[in-house]
Amino acid sequence: MQLKLSFPKDAEHQDTVSCVSWNNTEEVFSCGDDHVLKKWNLLTTDSQKICEFPEELNPLDFHCFSRNIGIRKTGQDQMLIASSDGKFHLLGKSGRIEKTVEAHKGAVLVGQWAPDGASFLTAGEDGQVKIWSRSGMLRTVPVHASGVPIYCACWGPDSNNFLYTQGKHLVIKSLLPNVKPNRWRAHEGLILKVAWEQINGRIVSGGEDGRYKVWDSYGSLVFNSMLHEHPITSIAWSPNGEMFAVGSFNTLRLCDKSGWSQYLDKPDTGSLYSIAWSADGTQLAAACANRKVLLAHVIGRRVEWGPLEATTTRRKTVVMSNAVHSGSDTLEFPERVIHLALAYKHLVVVTTTQCYVHNINNINTPVIIDLREGSVYMVLLAEKHMILVERSSIGVYSYDGRLISSPKWPSLNTATLNPSQISLGPDCIAARDQADEKVIQIFDINGKEIGTPLSHTTQIGEIGLSNGGSAFERLLAFVDRTRDLYIATVHPRPSTSRKIDKLGSVVQSFKWNSHLNIIAAIQDTSLTLWYYPFIIFVDKKLLRRTAVIKESSEFGHRPQVTTYVGNHVGIRRSDGALINSGVSPYLAILHGYSMSGSWKDALRLCRMVKDEALWACLAVMATQGKEIDTAESAYAAINQFDKVLYLQHIREIKLKPVQMAEMSLLGGNVQEAEALLLQNGMIFRAIMTNISTHNWERALEIATRNRTHIDTVLLYRQRFMDRLGKQEANEKFNMLRSNVEINEEQIDVKVQYELEKEKDRS
Amino acid sequence: MTDPLTRLNLFFDDLNHIRIIQPELASQTSDLREECIDFTNSIESFKNIADGFINIVASLAQEVDKEKMKAIGARNLVKSMAKQREAQEQRLQALLLEKTTELERLRIQHQSLAKTESEQLEMMDRLLTLQ
Repeated sequence: MQLKLSFPKDAEHQDTVSCVSWNNTEEVFSCGDDHVLKKWNLLTTDSQKICEFPEELNPLDFHCFSRNIGIRKTGQDQMLIASSDGKFHLLGKSGRIEKTVEAHKGAVLVGQWAPDGASFLTAGEDGQVKIWSRSGMLRTVPVHASGVPIYCACWGPDSNNFLYTQGKHLVIKSLLPNVKPNRWRAHEGLILKVAWEQINGRIVSGGEDGRYKVWDSYGSLVFNSMLHEHPITSIAWSPNGEMFAVGSFNTLRLCDKSGWSQYLDKPDTGSLYSIAWSADGTQLAAACANRKVLLAHVIGRRVEWGPLEATTTRRKTVVMSNAVHSGSDTLEFPERVIHLALAYKHLVVVTTTQCYVHNINNINTPVIIDLREGSVYMVLLAEKHMILVERSSIGVYSYDGRLISSPKWPSLNTATLNPSQISLGPDCIAARDQADEKVIQIFDINGKEIGTPLSHTTQIGEIGLSNGGSAFERLLAFVDRTRDLYIATVHPRPSTSRKIDKLGSVVQSFKWNSHLNIIAAIQDTSLTLWYYPFIIFVDKKLLRRTAVIKESSEFGHRPQVTTYVGNHVGIRRSDGALINSGVSPYLAILHGYSMSGSWKDALRLCRMVKDEALWACLAVMATQGKEIDTAESAYAAINQFDKVLYLQHIREIKLKPVQMAEMSLLGGNVQEAEALLLQNGMIFRAIMTNISTHNWERALEIATRNRTHIDTVLLYRQRFMDRLGKQEANEKFNMLRSNVEINEEQIDVKVQYELEKEKDRS
Repeated sequence: MTDPLTRLNLFFDDLNHIRIIQPELASQTSDLREECIDFTNSIESFKNIADGFINIVASLAQEVDKEKMKAIGARNLVKSMAKQREAQEQRLQALLLEKTTELERLRIQHQSLAKTESEQLEMMDRLLTLQ
């Protein structure tokens, strides 16, 4: 990432510029000590004086709120100006002061609209914070005078809490009653600026001690910067929360969300009093002490996929290069590039009004999609489809530019959708619900819901869909608030709920492989690879044997998995360095063999590699594929004798359907086994399967539906209850008990008869 | 001797012109006048010379002032130049530090990639010996 700076040439303010704010993505407002409000147009590069304030109005903070953050569209906007005479002013579009309210004793230092635009807060030198309604009526005074001036305050992700500075301390205060404020000492010097990001909830503060620090929303330190020669005078998060800008005397710095510096520029501007990002996150404006307004746009954004790499070298230029072949392609676009995504052999470039889909085999002839709303928040790519998240909807497109569907759910709010909380798989989409943080909505590509939404017991953080295998092998992984990693099946089998199980704990971040159902996660400071996570639904004991843990000192503190493409895991260290970690290539080959059913090759491979994890994977894959011989060899190789014996028992069964059903049972799919048996008319065995798995109700259901062996089920249930020494509590059983006569001898004879019959069939 | 002419205040000079003032007095007076004229002339010329001198000194003073200002300006410039250099140095140092950290990041990345490469080469070797 880099910033390309520019200064509007001919015009400038007559005095120090103190505040800037964006009107829309092409227009910037600025005002300063010369009492003039100016508008700068970035497309035509001209400036315009909007109005002149009265002599006594010295603006200190300025915030534009736009309901309609679109391109070249302006909604009902209101501008809020806090001034040094203790008043705030509400301005209309034309710059006319619509309302002036005496708000604080001393100067009003802060004026900020809430994210929902329904209210705003002001804070001043008297140490008070006041909340006002949209029309400027006082609502509450959540912070009473403490005598310490409040230099900066900002709203939290939901409009229910806010953060303010108090000398060297930061305080998070909730508007809800009976919530204790969270106050901590943050800096060695006076804190001048603080910014709270809306998507991940991270906080950046900067002060007179010349440092900026990144905090999480609970106030624990994530990053502490090196010492600057001058105080930090301004801080601003980019709207997508991926980076933030820090301003100081003659200094403009661009930092990653985890704090490390991506780019530094030393423009000759004096102190930067205020920084503001445009809504699309590609441009920023800053107010300079030397009467200038600094404009900058982000270039050098880079995306990688295997050997391919695409970089924005200029505002409208993307350079695509391949590390394998030398040489590169330069792509020019008519408009500013806003998003860039590269995956699965497609490069997707979103400009202000269009979306270009380039196939990398034919890079120069893109498919062009006209954007429906002209502002894209997010681009997600999968093997055959992509998602464009726009202002009010989510669009699923095929790579030839056809709109397939636009999934919707009631709480959908695309503006605050977190990129780590929506995932696109080859055939489905998952997104965490924004109203209920414990729920994940799951849709297929055509926008139809798959089953009921998944609901969990605690709040869910990141989610991810697997990319490998067929639709029925699709898995959904998610990390909850306690940092436990869970996986769930996406397609529920008929009449059963989704399977969910915990894969690991203390998971900082995870990524699915780009093509296979392999998951890589950072647990504490080591990298864990689960070679075959589905195993958790089959045999939990084998889970550890199919997981490989890589400990490495080079990962450093708080590493993060960023990519997992092919056989390479990309890890981002907390200092920003990218580390490539190779994964055994045999694993991909094994997955390939199992998908194509080449069991002999798979066996040969495992014999050659002699790796226990691979054998364990093969054992479960073969069980799922109902390959008795392969499974037997594989289980033998990992010393699972009980499994080998059971497999030998299965081999002796002559009836093919029973054999299949037993394999399903070994693979943990009771429902599948039952369905197989019922299809083949083996009702008795289906009932017995359910009985032996203690699935009493289901056994009874099958029996009553087929009007046979009801008494058998009841008898076995009764014996079971007697063994446990408990009373029957199930209504259904009690009711049938009174209706059906149970004759033990007769039943035993019947069971014997069924067993004989089965033997005859074989 | 009492000359009636003298009583009448009439005199005769050497050229026997009648005079109303005594001839010596008259000649002394005219001498005095001559000397007075001479004196004013010399005073005049002195004043001119003095004026000229004053002018020259004034212009010199101006010149000196100008040079002095110039010298002060130059000295300040040198001083601020040093400061500017310092600021420039600081600026370049900061940029250098930034580049150094970037280099360090890339070095680590390169190291990890080299490690992956060596792993892959090793694996290829192993596969070749297996054949």
